[in-house]
Amino acid sequence: MAKIVKKNRPETTIPTASTSDVAFLLLLFFMVSTVFVKERGLKVTLPRAESIEKIPRKQSATIYVNSAGVISIDDFPVEIPQIAGLMNSKLAQNFNLITCFRTDKNTRYGIMSDILNQLREAECLRVSFEAKLKR
Amino acid sequence: MKFSRKRKELNGIPTSSMSDVAFLLLVFFLSTTKFDIKKGLGIVLPPASSQGDKKVKLKDENITKVLINKEGEVLLKTKDSEELIAMNKLKARIKSIVRNNPDMVISLKTDRQSQYKYMVQALDQLQAAGAEKISLSTN
Repeated sequence: MAKIVKKNRPETTIPTASTSDVAFLLLLFFMVSTVFVKERGLKVTLPRAESIEKIPRKQSATIYVNSAGVISIDDFPVEIPQIAGLMNSKLAQNFNLITCFRTDKNTRYGIMSDILNQLREAECLRVSFEAKLKR
Repeated sequence: MKFSRKRKELNGIPTSSMSDVAFLLLVFFLSTTKFDIKKGLGIVLPPASSQGDKKVKLKDENITKVLINKEGEVLLKTKDSEELIAMNKLKARIKSIVRNNPDMVISLKTDRQSQYKYMVQALDQLQAAGAEKISLSTN
């Protein structure tokens, strides 16, 4: 009588030994790349634009202006005449300061013009208007 | 006489739950991470004018005015012509103007009552057209 030879079937298990390594690697990546938001700011809907460029985060100071015309710097509501003094002190800390505007798209331009004049007084001349990429 | 054997306790940190902890932290960072990339339209403002400063007068042929009213309508004003133009046509027109005269200064004048988005749209069109000398003003 012929012998029936049993075929060895290859095992079909997923190796899980390195799962924790992968998890730690991802964890390390997220820990390094995470930036905790410093300020809450104001809720704004940014306008859209095509030719936008990156703003270096370390050099930037953000001015929030919402649609009602409320201005916020470092989570403190400020009036227009206070801006020059505030930004001047920021400029003293960082000479390469770029002032970023996070302004609601429906804000009246008059407010923005007044703020720009304050920035000129404070000699904060590098300005960027934040916008979302137009698709 | 019988001696009772003392059981030796095993020394070592249990590592079996290490991956659970790692995944837990991973989920935390995954859910809280916010990539804060700022993007915008950059411009350098002129310094505030003081009494001692000399004002430079530009020739009329070197100035193109882009005027935006409170409805968001755009008027393109050069030395010789004046035309009402659609916002999306501004880029092409400015491109040809700047190509003909690289010293051209584009003065973007926006109404105080106009919405901020119109100014950003116009500035975007000007920068995309390659205009380097842009001045912002209001009425």
